Amino acid sequence: MFDLIILGGGPAAIGAGVYAARKRMKTLLLTKEFGGQSVDSAMIENFIGHNSISGVEFARVLEAQLRLQEDIEIKVGVTVEALEQQGDLWRVTDSKKNQYEARAVLVAIGSRYKRLNVPGEKQYEGKGVFFCSLCDAPLMKNKKAAVIGGGNAGLEAVVDLLPYATEIHLLVRGELKGDPIYQERIFKEEKVHVHRSVTVSRFAGSEFMEKVYYSALGSDEEQFVEAQGAFVEIGQMPNTELFEKTLTLSDSKHIVVDPRTMQTSAQGVWAAGDITDISYKQINTSIGDGIKAVLNIYETLQKNL
Amino acid sequence: MVTIYSTTHCPYCKMAKDYFTQHNVEYKDINVEQDDAAAADMIKKSGQMGVPVIDIDGTIIVGFDRGSIDEILHLQ
Repeated sequence: MFDLIILGGGPAAIGAGVYAARKRMKTLLLTKEFGGQSVDSAMIENFIGHNSISGVEFARVLEAQLRLQEDIEIKVGVTVEALEQQGDLWRVTDSKKNQYEARAVLVAIGSRYKRLNVPGEKQYEGKGVFFCSLCDAPLMKNKKAAVIGGGNAGLEAVVDLLPYATEIHLLVRGELKGDPIYQERIFKEEKVHVHRSVTVSRFAGSEFMEKVYYSALGSDEEQFVEAQGAFVEIGQMPNTELFEKTLTLSDSKHIVVDPRTMQTSAQGVWAAGDITDISYKQINTSIGDGIKAVLNIYETLQKNL
Repeated sequence: MVTIYSTTHCPYCKMAKDYFTQHNVEYKDINVEQDDAAAADMIKKSGQMGVPVIDIDGTIIVGFDRGSIDEILHLQ
């Protein structure tokens, strides 16, 4: 039996893990991988204490500092399959069917790329539908590409594609919302075509994706652009499917927490980081929230000895 | 024999390569950004275009899936 099980390996989870170990709490940390979504950043330039650090290096630093702690058990390469209450304890089942029990659980498994949920998106994932432009833009060499989403992530994807694709179609629901610095950059390029006030209706092709269908907002008339790659950059969604029955979620499906303590609606379960309904999703603040959660868990467990 | 198909700036490719190095696993790195034939080869092997693709003695892993890598190479 553990005092605390931490679910996740991003900034919130690592902040929590380091503090829990230093409080000598018997702690288990379960994660698929370290770093969370910060890994996707080519360069992090606002992490306080570092002028500039790559996402990959940041993940390595987090893992290294966690592993320096003595009193923490770490399982990597697993995901969570179930979280159930067992009397005063909580039981966690992982993807290898191992079960663990603890007096407290901290949920910090973050968020993932939001999907459009249109026909063809799942079928062509990796076969023309992509979510990591930094990774997969080079595969668009001498090909036509589309980017869906007009925020910073969408505009960054266009910039990532510039050296490779012959034609880039940017499809946005409203107007461009990304930073002016990116907008200026892409408007200079003749091969970038911006389609405003449109909604993507489906992806089509044969073995690989070949066409992105869309229509003007408020119209049913479908048009298409030819593209061998479509990069979906429409934001993040929290990984909360597993907790729909046990924890109170917000309308946007984030875990509702008390921002002073990071406690969820269920006694014995805390949450921190991008998975919560807290405002402003930042690496710096996520670390702080993970720590805040652990200090509150420590206090709570001390009281209930 | 471990082969990784990667692109230059792909963070998960770098994480996978670092992971192999850390565990003394020898690997061959093929940058598909610079080698069109290798890119075609990777797409044929994996049935998709995303990187990284990792080939461990013929078993194909798409993405840096540490759980699967650990299992096949008996790491950890």
